[in-house]
Amino acid sequence: MAECDEIGMMLGAFEDSELERNEMQEVAFHLARCESCTGILADYSTLGRNLRSAAAEPPLAGFSSAVVARVDRLPQPVLTRIARFLRRQADSVGSGLAWGGAAAAIAVVTVILMTPYAEQFADRGPHSATSIAKTEHEAATAVNQVAEATASEPTMADNNSHADISRLESENHSVAVWSEPRRDTTVIWLPDQP
Amino acid sequence: MLVERYQRRVVGVALAVVHNQDDAIELAQETFVRAYENLSKFESRSSFSTWLYRIAANLAIDFWRREGRHVVLHGEDADDEIRRLPTSQGDSFKEVSRIELSARLKQALEELTPEHRAVILLREVEGMSYDEISDVLQCPRGTVMSRLHYARTRLRNILKDVAAS
Repeated sequence: MAECDEIGMMLGAFEDSELERNEMQEVAFHLARCESCTGILADYSTLGRNLRSAAAEPPLAGFSSAVVARVDRLPQPVLTRIARFLRRQADSVGSGLAWGGAAAAIAVVTVILMTPYAEQFADRGPHSATSIAKTEHEAATAVNQVAEATASEPTMADNNSHADISRLESENHSVAVWSEPRRDTTVIWLPDQP
Repeated sequence: MLVERYQRRVVGVALAVVHNQDDAIELAQETFVRAYENLSKFESRSSFSTWLYRIAANLAIDFWRREGRHVVLHGEDADDEIRRLPTSQGDSFKEVSRIELSARLKQALEELTPEHRAVILLREVEGMSYDEISDVLQCPRGTVMSRLHYARTRLRNILKDVAAS
């Protein structure tokens, strides 16, 4: 039946109330006098109910946390990475300030406790008098050794076996320079390097 | 949380196309990741939910085509298919047992193309209007109507055969 074919195309939309008002009326008028189209419409309705009842509820436990984990694994945009880097730096600066404060407090306490003894340590160190004396002693020994070596040389043969130091000059305590004008000799002493 | 608000329906949209729960859940998760990545591209011409469901539908249809499980009918091909359907009328399939019906429905749905399955499930299970389906699947409203008609007629005939046997 031509009318049934035409109405049949609209039956689903009629069931879904998705037709225009005049189309809804037209289909309703036809259904009132057509058993086969009424049967089809009933089947559509049953089909819809069965589809809804057969649809299993998907297991969604852990779904959102899985999505968050996947988003976290994404490569971050440059601006986001810079922001994160700056935030980490700010966190470490905060931590560094705390450690710095603690270190400063310890330093202040140490200074207060050590002040009475400070003078005892004032003269010590690489430039202290003891150190210079030791250096000069070692220098003199070295000069003697050089003089002895010089005396043993055939061209420089001399009865005098030890050096006659006429002038000691040095601006640097770790380097000593002796001049012996009569022998036309200058000795430069350097300490052994560690 | 945004994910929890939309997750069920996003899974439903993906499931309507691929008709496999594990694949649908995987695709739904991918949908949210894609949405997060492309949030700046979202334009408020459509609602956020429609935009989200559209991503889900596109991912699911791409997935289905990539898997190559079924031949997809479009436009006139689908209409021709409708005309070739037998015009059974009158009988119902109410007597078929629920379990058998459920199994047969699942099988019948798998025999549909993803486009036809999507429209019938988005309408009947997800309760979307024709306009919503049109937005999500990005096809004209008339195509939604013709696909729905095809899907209903096809499913009805398959299930009627079961009832008759």
